[in-house]
Formats: sequence, C-alpha cells, structure tokens
Amino acid sequence: MRRHALAVGFFGAAALTPLVIHDGFFLDSLVLILMWGAVSGAWNVAGGYAGQVSLGHSAFFGIGAYSAALMATRLHASPWLGMLAGAVVATAAGLVIGYLSNRLKGPYFALATIAFSQVLLIVASRWRAFTAGSEGVPVPFRPGFWTLGFASKVSWVYLVLCLALAIYLVQVYLERSRIGYQLAGVREDEDAAQALGIPSRRLKVRAIAASAALTSVCGTLWAQYVGFVDPFYVFSVDLSVRFALNAIIGGVGTAMGPFVGSLLITSLETTLRAVFSDIRGGLVGIYLIIYGCLLIVVVRLIPQGLVGWFGQRIRAARRYARA
Amino acid sequence: MLELDAVTKRFGGLTAVREVSLRAGPGEIVGIIGPNGAGKTTLFNVISGFFAPDEGRVLLDGRDVSRMPAHEICALGLCRTFQIVKPFGNLSVEDNVMIGALTRLTSVSAAREEARRVVALCRLEPFAASAARSLPIGLRKRLEVARALATRPRLLLLDEVMAGLNATELGEMITLIRSLHGEGVGLIIIEHIMAAMMRLAQRIVVLHHGEKIAEGTPESIASDRRVVDAYLGEEFVLADA
Repeated sequence: MRRHALAVGFFGAAALTPLVIHDGFFLDSLVLILMWGAVSGAWNVAGGYAGQVSLGHSAFFGIGAYSAALMATRLHASPWLGMLAGAVVATAAGLVIGYLSNRLKGPYFALATIAFSQVLLIVASRWRAFTAGSEGVPVPFRPGFWTLGFASKVSWVYLVLCLALAIYLVQVYLERSRIGYQLAGVREDEDAAQALGIPSRRLKVRAIAASAALTSVCGTLWAQYVGFVDPFYVFSVDLSVRFALNAIIGGVGTAMGPFVGSLLITSLETTLRAVFSDIRGGLVGIYLIIYGCLLIVVVRLIPQGLVGWFGQRIRAARRYARA
Repeated sequence: MLELDAVTKRFGGLTAVREVSLRAGPGEIVGIIGPNGAGKTTLFNVISGFFAPDEGRVLLDGRDVSRMPAHEICALGLCRTFQIVKPFGNLSVEDNVMIGALTRLTSVSAAREEARRVVALCRLEPFAASAARSLPIGLRKRLEVARALATRPRLLLLDEVMAGLNATELGEMITLIRSLHGEGVGLIIIEHIMAAMMRLAQRIVVLHHGEKIAEGTPESIASDRRVVDAYLGEEFVLADA
C-alpha cells in the first residue's frame, strides 16, 4: 500500500475536487492534467519501461482522435466503437513502426517516430476525401453515455480519471510482471538481455504497440472532450514532445511520474498563459521559454525525474532511520 | 554437447575466425587461449548467436544453431558472459540475476527465489540490493556469471571473467567455477591468466590469427613449441620448469 501512497493521494484529490470546486476553468484544467498525464503514462509504456523514447506519439493520439471523429460523422457510429477501431489501427501502426525501427536506438529511433507522425500529418491534412483535410473534423455533440456527449465538466473529470487510473495500473503491472522486468533488461542493455534469453526485438515491438493503443484511446476521449480534431494539432511534434516531457520531468519509468509531470507542466502552462494573456503580441510565447528552462533544469539536475528523485530521498531517509 | 564444424567468420577483408573446429562434451571444461585479436571473443559471438558464421556450422546437441538468434540459443541451455561486462546498471544486483532466472521461470516470485539462491551461491548477498553500476569490477564480473547461471545453462561460456580480479577474488572465482563443474555444467573459458587456466581446464584450445594452432591437455599445451612462440613466450616455459 505504501508504494501506492502517492497514487492514492493524487487520484483521491482529483476525485474529491469536483465535490468542492465548481469553477469551470478549474475543472477544465483538472481534466487536462489527468488527460495529459494519462497520455504520458501510455507513452511511458514504450518510452520509459522499454526505453523506446518516441517523439512521434502524436501519431497514435491523432489516429484515436480521427478514428472516432470520422466514424461518428460519416457512419454515425458510437465513439466507443471509434475508440476500439482507433486502438486497433494504432496497434497495427505501432507494430509497423516498431518493426521497421527495431534496430534504431536513442535519437535515431526518436527521429524515425517524428517522421512517422509527420507522414500521418500530411496524409490527414491533404487527403481531403477521407479526412476533410486541413480544416479538421468537428465532432458532433450527441448527449448521452453511449455517444460520449457530456455537457457537465464533472462527468468528464470522472471519465478521464478512470482512464488515468487504468493507465496507472498498466504501468504498475509493468513494474512487477515478467515482461516488465525483461523490458527493463532490454532498456538497460539489449545485448545482455538477448544473451540471457530475452527476445528483445519482439518485446520492444509489443511494448510500442501497447503504448500506441493506449495513446489512441486517450486521443479518442480528448477529441470527444474538445469537440474538434485539427490535424495540425493532433499530429504535431509539440504534442509528442509534451507527452515525453511530462514523463521525463515527473520520472521516466515510474508509474506516477507522468501524472506528477503533467500536474506541474499543465498547471504551469495554464497559469502562465493566463498571466501573460494581455501582454504585447510578441511575448505570447513566453511560457514556452519558461517551459524550456524548466526542462533544462530538471534534466541537468535530476535526470531521474521528480518521482524518481523523491523516491530515492525517501528510501535513503528510511535506511538512515533504521541505522 | 557443442560442436563447431570448420567455422569461419569474416569482417570485410579480415578473417577473424578461420575454419575452427571444436568440441565440448557435456560437463567438460574447455579453455581457449591466444594473443589479443586471435578471434576468441568473435568465436564466442558466433557460438552464442550474436554473429552468424560465414562458413561452417555450430551444432548444439546435434542441432544446427548457426543462424539461431541469441535468445533462442540461451533457451536451449547455452549462455555466455561478456568480456566487457554489461550489467543492467540501474537495477539492483538481485533484479539483474532475476531477469536471468525469468528465462526459465514464468512466475516472478519463483524467479525472485531462484535469484536469491544464485546470488548466495556467487557470494553477492551483501550487495543484493545495490545498483549494479555501483559495484567494483571484480563484483561486476561475478554478477555477470551469476546472471548467466540464473538461466540454468548446461553449457556456460565465460569470457575473461577473471581478468582484473585480485588474488582473493580470483580464488573465489576458481572455487565457483569448480563447484559449477561439480554440478555438471559444461564450461568454455577464455582467459589470459595461465595459472588459473592450468588448474581449471581439462583441455585447452589455442587460437592465433583466427586459426586453431593447437589443442590438448594443459601440460601438452604448455610445452607445445608453436604455442610458446605465438603466445606464452619463453619466460612461461622457464617459470614453469
């Protein structure tokens, strides 16, 4: 239980917040914190636990967003079916990119994933007959659970909270299961892992595919929440960087890292945007500069991320207390 | 039982291993010696599935494993260590060993137990919870062996696991290798420390410029003219005499 203390505190606080605070802006921020935390958790499955640091995860996010939006507008299908379809397509895409980039390591793998997301951006923005092109796709609002239409932000908080919890549990499973340990071996040293009987290539592809499917599910929910799918946003490198960034700042390869990172980054971004909203046009991007500085500080000083760093401090303190 | 049938491995114009044939019977300790660049580690890489031979075959229990990937060869019971040790640096010593154990065992708790047993066998208990990267080289070498052992190999390939050890550590490593041999594990050992090799190996194979130039009992190797010229040097013969 002690190892879940942070999760219980975090998700518990998220669950109680709507009972106390009814402010729309605040609840919207809460949904986004949970949402970006969940996507980063999905990213963490490949990027953290398997060491396959992708900067193209917006590809899978966009697949999820588009699948549900297109199926809802063209076929009047439920977004839940669209979510399933998106997850299937994203899994297939994850298998393909995982297979093709199998031998690539570190920055080369990251570059391959960026390229992949940009290919999808071009397809989505140019193939007008299929995707409505660069204008994007408005997601029809049809009230009800089956159609994923909730007017109240409170419903969204709880729905996205369920998603976040599910992704948290997937990560916890990866920390304790056979495949999780084997992936850790692959991440630490692939040659040694192979020599010890671990089918590293296969496991990496599986991790990327699973990560892709989870990311796609997040994409579907995000599109339903926002009500509009813009190809230049959902397939953007910015978004991919955000997914990776939350996890890196919070703690790569820790189950709570993505959520802690998202809490920090998302609330910081929201605040900075609000603070700098009425300054001269030339300075609107200043929050990005602060963002960048923060990233440099974290990566230089605590490369293991906030959760990793605090975890080490707590373990050290316990050892000290025992001695 | 491992059999190499005229194995050749080239890198571009360089023939690292040329038509080497070799047998290692079950439970046997075979030593491989030779000067630096003789092709010893390349030979290990070919046997363990990291390189496919350009010519010749590698047979494990009569089965051709020449093109088999490393992880499948490990599953068949042949495991190797690396000369330049490759610990899972950020993981604990026990987790390192457990990852090896998970190759045979599907249950994490069973693998954890097995890892504790192997950690104790290799006398790594005091460091079980330490991160592997915090270990000094002598212990890293021992971890390398422990991790390989956890996969329960029938044949273990040790690539210079004694290099850089102090006298005490060396003695412990020799004891460990002897006890493995006692349990019926076959071993192929690459080593430069001749004193250890003479005590351990039942048969020694000498490589020079990628070719096998001699093979025989430690005594016959130590007095073989070609081996003395290529590798051991006159001092060794004098010191031995």
